[in-house]
Amino acid sequence: MTVTRRDALKLAAVAAATPLLPRGMAEAAEATAASTAGKTAAAAAGRFFSAPEMALLDELVEIIIPADAHSGGARAAGVAGYIDGRLAQYDPAIPILKADRERWKAGLATVDALARETSGKTFLESSPAEQTALLERIAKPLTEAEIPTEEPEERRQPAAEKPETVGQRFFVELKSWTARGYYTSKVGIHDEMEYKGNRAILEFSGTDVATLPPVRPPQD
Amino acid sequence: MTLLRVPPPLPRVVDLKRTYDAIVVGSGAAGGMAAHVLTSHGLDVLLLEAGKQVDTTAELKSLEWPYDHPRRGDMPYTSHALRGAEYALRKPPYAPKDSPWKTVQSYVQGWSGSDYSKNILVDEKEHPYTGTSYAWVRARVLGGKTNIWGRLALRLSDYDFKGKSHDGWGEDWPISYADIEPYYDKVDLYLGISGHPEGLAHLPDSKFQRATRLNAAEVRLRQSMAKSGKVLTPYRAGVTTDGLKHNKFRSRCFGRGACNRRAGGCDIHAAFDSPTGLIYPALETGHLIVRTGSIAREITVDPATGKARGVSFVDAATGTTMEARARVVVVGASTLESARLLLNSKSAAHPNGIGNSSGHVGHNFCEHVMGPGVDGFVKDLVGKPRTLDDGRPGGFYVPRFRNLKDKQKDFLRGYGFEGSSGTGMFPGASRAPGFGAAYKKSVREYDGATIGMGGFGEVLSRYENAVSVDPEVKDKWGVPVLRFDFKFGENEKKMAADMANTAKEIFDEAGIEVVDHDRKILTEGWSIHELGTARMGNDPKTSVLTQHQQSHDVKNLFVVDGSSHVSASCQNPTWTIMALAWRSCDYLADELRKGNL
Repeated sequence: MTVTRRDALKLAAVAAATPLLPRGMAEAAEATAASTAGKTAAAAAGRFFSAPEMALLDELVEIIIPADAHSGGARAAGVAGYIDGRLAQYDPAIPILKADRERWKAGLATVDALARETSGKTFLESSPAEQTALLERIAKPLTEAEIPTEEPEERRQPAAEKPETVGQRFFVELKSWTARGYYTSKVGIHDEMEYKGNRAILEFSGTDVATLPPVRPPQD
Repeated sequence: MTLLRVPPPLPRVVDLKRTYDAIVVGSGAAGGMAAHVLTSHGLDVLLLEAGKQVDTTAELKSLEWPYDHPRRGDMPYTSHALRGAEYALRKPPYAPKDSPWKTVQSYVQGWSGSDYSKNILVDEKEHPYTGTSYAWVRARVLGGKTNIWGRLALRLSDYDFKGKSHDGWGEDWPISYADIEPYYDKVDLYLGISGHPEGLAHLPDSKFQRATRLNAAEVRLRQSMAKSGKVLTPYRAGVTTDGLKHNKFRSRCFGRGACNRRAGGCDIHAAFDSPTGLIYPALETGHLIVRTGSIAREITVDPATGKARGVSFVDAATGTTMEARARVVVVGASTLESARLLLNSKSAAHPNGIGNSSGHVGHNFCEHVMGPGVDGFVKDLVGKPRTLDDGRPGGFYVPRFRNLKDKQKDFLRGYGFEGSSGTGMFPGASRAPGFGAAYKKSVREYDGATIGMGGFGEVLSRYENAVSVDPEVKDKWGVPVLRFDFKFGENEKKMAADMANTAKEIFDEAGIEVVDHDRKILTEGWSIHELGTARMGNDPKTSVLTQHQQSHDVKNLFVVDGSSHVSASCQNPTWTIMALAWRSCDYLADELRKGNL
């Protein structure tokens, strides 16, 4: 498959269609970090995320792309580390990148806030069934009106959003980056997708068109 | 595996006291071809390229795995690629000088693998333009956009050259297919092209090397389309699939399948690029001097004769302006940059810009409209064993089928579809719904069953679609920039609507389930097929160039790139640009020998 200009646009659009940062969520992120710190002390801090945030992110990406009988999942592929490393390289002097960073922290906080609201527990403390139920909630597609516009940054109107909607928007971004991290990893490319390219081949695969009947356009 | 040779060092010391036989401005498809043909005639040529020489063999690293790259192939995060919405909702310039981004580049840098092409595309901060929304993609390096082009290499036919005779719109070209056919043949044989002959009058066959193969989804689509007489043919790629014995700088395509990782570039040079295909071989004649970092500011004029005397250029490193002289000036700086150079070359003899007594320079600007298309999957291929579908330099092409023998009531001219299908290094993961084991499985199983295509349609040549020189804004080197006044019209909108409807019908008829149906037109410029700002013609009052791309006004001035095209056709222009440049430079060399210039 060759990525055409059109395909490539779509890929770019997915990356660009990032949710908006709701006001006040950065503070919520700090609260989450404080509350879960004790319970996940074993997890290491990332270069950008705190240890509790890393633990939560690592769990989320593994739920999105889990290990199965076919291959390892997002955890084995180091996806949380990829996302963390990427955000760590974001220069906060650039407003859009600063907003991206804050949105990720806020997104993780929202996941915990929604978990607490439902079961009184953090996401990591919740049962697997509760965790799946919560992700199903935020994996619901956004309505047309809720889809972030592609308006240039300075024209965007940050609106006060329901946590549910913030969660839905975060999920779009989380899933997009999980897929990107996973399917560009060794595990994703070789074990999961069993990609056979990126090496010299002697003959193109497929059907030689000369073996197919010729086409006669109407004008002939 | 390959016998790539190290590119020769560029002899770049320019003797400013000397009068060269020819100065060529620009080193892409047009300038590269001009330099090649003129030196092959024994002429001493100075080639001026505004950008740097980038060693694409080292730069593109096509075999590097994404996980071995610190940012999985992305350019540094301090750089920004313009997004679709930014082009559509804003007006240029798209990168203010105080932009927080270190560099801002065109939308092409939003594709995967942008780190490999970051030194090829320009920084919009240094290269502003003004006017109407336009996604202008520029590569200022030796070889220009041929370093990253999409490689679809198509011929035009008399449906294009004699478009006016066919439907009354615009002007006929001053040449017919018979005039250019021998030069298409030469380009095919010299540079290599892969494809399958289909015997179509409106898309003439080339002298093809081995075609790429079709995968199961493409075979199904071809056979379904054949019922209505529409053709699906393997991508006609400007790629040597059998090798070129006469060119030691290029390897044959060995299908390693990294073609989809970045903006086109081919580091084994199986895909044509101007440096390895044309310029390095020309250097071996000993007749070529290449000066990079040389930004042409204006074509200078001999006040006594009104003829071109040479080119005044800015040294990119020092900012110094100097003039080199030649008997002939050949401009091949790209459709828009060439128009800019002509318009910036004002003198007493040529007050509206050199070669512009007609007032047509910058006008009749045309290109291709794109955006509408479909993506879907073939149900019975879901979960089938995976094939290596990106071990090919391209997918498929559907030639024009509108307004040939038929007459559409809503629009003139036609469009073709470019498509691709099957597996690549990365699956289209974001489109599968949900999460978890079911999501992962569906990404795996559906990936090989996907197929998609999008249209490229002819934008009618209209006088009012134009570029001019902005009276105030200048680029980093003080050269006045272009102002756009370009908009798609009703014909393009109606054609795009037909494109969208027909694409879906084609998929429906083939039993391909459509999951994504685009109807929207992308911002002007998206096709990167700008054409027609200095068109050829027999009438000096309504055209800028003769059929040999020679200025009607100034005998020793030639413009050999896409600006000379009289209409856009819907076929991709690179091969035609090179065939025309070859033809014109043969004529130029002959005229120079005869003392006619």
